[in-house]
Amino acid sequence: MKPEELLYAKTHEWVALSTEGADKIATVGISAFAVEALTDLVFMELPKVGRQVQPEESFCEIESVKAVSDIYAPVAGEVIAVNSTLPDKLETLNHDPYGAGWIAKIKITDESSLASLLTHAAYQKQCEEEAH
Amino acid sequence: MWGTPDGHATNQVLTFVASPAKSPPKTHIPPPKSASMPYLYNTPEDVAEMLTAIGAKSIDELFEMVPEDLRFKRPLNLPAAQGEMELEGTLRAMAARSTGVGTKVCFLGGGAYDHFIPAVIDTVAGRSEFYTSYTPYQPEVSQGNLQAMFEFQSLMTRITGLDVSNSSLYDGGSAAAEGVLMALHGSSRDGRVVVAESVHPEYRSAIATYLANLGVEIVTVPTPGGVVDVKQLAAEITPQTACVVLQQPNFFGCLEDADAICQAAHDAGALVVAAFDPISTGILKRPGDYGADIAIAEGQNLGSPLAYGGPYLGIIACRESLVRRMPGRIVGRTTDRRGKPCYTLTLQTREQHIRREKATSNVCSNQALFALRATVYLSLLGPQGLRDTAELCLQKSRYLADELAATDRFELAFDAPTFKEFVVRDREGKVDELIAHGLTAGMLIGVPLGNWYPDLADCLLIAVTEKRTRAELDALVKCLTAKPARTREKPLAATR
Amino acid sequence: MRNTRDTKSLFELSKPGRRATLLPKCDVPARPLGSLLPASVLADLPPQLPELSEPAVVRHFVNLSTQNMSVDTHFYPLGSCTMKHNPKRNERAAAMPGFGDVHPYAPEAAIQGLLELLYDMQQYLSEISGLPACSLHPAAGAHGELAALLVAAAYFRDRGEKRTKVLAPDSAHGTNPASAAMAGFDTVTVKTLKTGAVDLDDFRAKLDDNIAVFMITNPNTVGIFEPSMKIIADEVHARGGLIYLDGANMNAILGVARPGDFGADMQHYNPHKTFSGPHGGGGPGAGPICVTEALAPYLPMPIVRKSSSGQFSLDFSMPKSIGHLRAFFGNTGVLVRAYTYIRAHGPDGLRRVSEHAVLNANYLLSKIKHFLPVPQGERCMHEFVASGADLKATKGVSAMDLAKRLLDYGFHAPTVYFPLTVKEAIMIEPTESESKETLDAFAEVLFRITEEDPELLHEAPHSTPISRPNEVQAAREPVLSWKS
Repeated sequence: MKPEELLYAKTHEWVALSTEGADKIATVGISAFAVEALTDLVFMELPKVGRQVQPEESFCEIESVKAVSDIYAPVAGEVIAVNSTLPDKLETLNHDPYGAGWIAKIKITDESSLASLLTHAAYQKQCEEEAH
Repeated sequence: MWGTPDGHATNQVLTFVASPAKSPPKTHIPPPKSASMPYLYNTPEDVAEMLTAIGAKSIDELFEMVPEDLRFKRPLNLPAAQGEMELEGTLRAMAARSTGVGTKVCFLGGGAYDHFIPAVIDTVAGRSEFYTSYTPYQPEVSQGNLQAMFEFQSLMTRITGLDVSNSSLYDGGSAAAEGVLMALHGSSRDGRVVVAESVHPEYRSAIATYLANLGVEIVTVPTPGGVVDVKQLAAEITPQTACVVLQQPNFFGCLEDADAICQAAHDAGALVVAAFDPISTGILKRPGDYGADIAIAEGQNLGSPLAYGGPYLGIIACRESLVRRMPGRIVGRTTDRRGKPCYTLTLQTREQHIRREKATSNVCSNQALFALRATVYLSLLGPQGLRDTAELCLQKSRYLADELAATDRFELAFDAPTFKEFVVRDREGKVDELIAHGLTAGMLIGVPLGNWYPDLADCLLIAVTEKRTRAELDALVKCLTAKPARTREKPLAATR
Repeated sequence: MRNTRDTKSLFELSKPGRRATLLPKCDVPARPLGSLLPASVLADLPPQLPELSEPAVVRHFVNLSTQNMSVDTHFYPLGSCTMKHNPKRNERAAAMPGFGDVHPYAPEAAIQGLLELLYDMQQYLSEISGLPACSLHPAAGAHGELAALLVAAAYFRDRGEKRTKVLAPDSAHGTNPASAAMAGFDTVTVKTLKTGAVDLDDFRAKLDDNIAVFMITNPNTVGIFEPSMKIIADEVHARGGLIYLDGANMNAILGVARPGDFGADMQHYNPHKTFSGPHGGGGPGAGPICVTEALAPYLPMPIVRKSSSGQFSLDFSMPKSIGHLRAFFGNTGVLVRAYTYIRAHGPDGLRRVSEHAVLNANYLLSKIKHFLPVPQGERCMHEFVASGADLKATKGVSAMDLAKRLLDYGFHAPTVYFPLTVKEAIMIEPTESESKETLDAFAEVLFRITEEDPELLHEAPHSTPISRPNEVQAAREPVLSWKS
């Protein structure tokens, strides 16, 4: 997936939208900026499939040697799939954060939650500000 | 308050004032201040120079950030300072009014035991580099501690039969509470904890204290027969029960049907937290062998002194799947930048300094020095030594139990087989009298149970370690069965 | 000179058939195990422990010991840990027969001398804190924190009040929020200013009638006395809340200020820090707590009492007590050491300890501030926090690099990256038991290091038994026990 075509949460998660039948699906991952800031990832705990999540709810944890970071659900919905091989191959997040490094798929239950997501350009601007 | 105010605390607090331009003459010997500064270096000259460098007129000025109205205006009401020789006299006089197992034959147990402590342990633990160092935050200058902790963890996995051990907790009681918290976090169940009444009463109290505000129900399964009735226990395990807590051998020294208890817990989807006696693993199945998911123990009996309850050594080990829920420090083996094998603290994201309110526990230390003692102890014993120790405890305690049970006055309280301690009932119900009588005869005869178990108010818990000789065991039987003394008993300590 | 053969793992040194222990023959009639115990409880084999001779064990551990830095061998300015001299008379005291060899269930009549010492210790700690009731039961500072919060929870429950909020500054030790969570409270973090003081606006914004406890470290973790202590205490009390003092930094205020006088309702001590340790390679410690009269009924059990006839006994009849937090009385061995330390100093000696701890810290601050900024200002109590942020920005040298390079020069590193509120934090606590010469040498070396080639620092330490461990590998693929 091309980063330019994705939506972003302020907390550095990316969202790719797709449809499966009548359902609207959000594929969620974390941005290259976030991966770099986290450094040396060592452990990840994926959410359980079937879990209902709300925007800004921590639904996944990722750890470096001396830090724990929450990954927040960017949309409201139900977790329908997780990238179960990812915790064993965390380096994938460095190599391909927007593709093979996806974390979870969420079936969106409330589309209004998409409204607060940022475009790529707006997210880039936020990252530049944070870097300073 | 103690003492009289004129006996001490009348000295003025000395204030050093920065000396003017020139320093005092070289021949100046400052008058003796008091015997109360044994560990300070700073001479008046040093103080003067330091204050000048700081730009302060006096030490008092350095305390100006303490608001005037919050300062303490009188000297502390404490006894006056004593120099080393005088203080040692004071302490020895107090210690002389206190008797330990060095001068009394000890049959006390209940979680702390008078096992033999080989001299090598004191030599190693007496190394300054071990006992005056701290948490290995800088692994490059802490490999000694780190490797010893890694070896401790390795030995603990071998005596528990479980996959992972941490580098120790405070003691057996707090380890029991932490084990239960771990089970609550590790299972998705948080409504109930089922505890056997035959678990150490102070461990049960610690569990209750830790859980007091967490909305978890604790159900205690009575053990009037000295061991758990597995059916009765199984009936208490609900779908919201996180774990079952058992002790093997239990507080009464009796052996539970641990396999069946674990089976019942697992069948109902609950975890098992098992308290065990490390020495017993010389002959008995280990917690991992009978199915426990989390094992906890008091490790004092692995080479540490009794010291009136502490410091001791909390042991905790678990299955691999629970490692992220483990409290406390863990040491891992890795390599350094040059590829050399080495050790470092690891999986630290579990801990309070990183995860803060979401940490697995608030623990931020371990009992490193006592874990070291246990490591040395087990290295010295080896498999055969541990087995021999365990078997001596078993044989001698059963000999004593049988001898007592053969008297008219005593009977064994429970039928279940025991390991190194057992409960006897005094048919005359005069437990306190027996204890006082034993003390006169130079013996600490056993732990009374009435405060914890009112039904056992006429019972004593008696422990026998490998240190007890047949002569001592026979002397105990004689002492306890002697007719009420018309004349004072001869002290038996001399027979040791 | 380094012997690396004998520091191989115990499991590599093991050889079947070696033994260091010979036990006596069984002197009672021995019976077959099968007749004493059911087969279902018996193990097939004893655990697979290593098999070693006594000299092998001694050489292994003594060689390991030489790979540690320690207070007896090195300056150890580890901020927040109070690594002061560990007096040898304390060790002798703790080992005395009558103290060191007493079983925890020994009859009280047999141990009056020890109980008197423990009773006196309760009194001393109360006098030093200005809080009248004391429990010696908790096993460590964090354990004391937990005990105090459980006392607070029991107190509010008894009064029929439901309060859920614990406030703690962002500079607090991680144990504070962790202990609060274990006691069932929710922690709300209060901001601190650049000086390290509590941000009163933020404090007031977060203070409400739901406040249970404000947890404060004073002197705080950047080594200043909280300027708003009185205001905070008054406003928390006005809302019906309690003040908990994290006593980690008591070394700065012995006989100078008492927590009970400046508004605390509860505090813990770290006797292994304030009253001279030792730290034992990471423990043991002890965590006695002192509280106000109102909180006394809730203290953990047991408490030592003295009767009118001068007999000492343990009080277990405290119906409102939170109970045990561990088995047995407490970490008596640590308490005997602390008692010995207090008696060696007396009232003016203890005050002198704090005076010189503060003097040494200010002196070191005055030397270091010229090349490493100290954001909190010109003065400190017993410790201060320098920031390596400028150095990181200009030369790419981190606080960790400085810490590691100090090891090469024979100094233990300060605490780094704590508190979290100071960037590239370097937290230095020299303690009172160090000489001006040592402080001068340390400051000089630290300055020299800041001038060194950054590459040299990134690779430091160079002279230690190992270089920096691969912590990423250690955490990614944990090896937590020896697998043969």
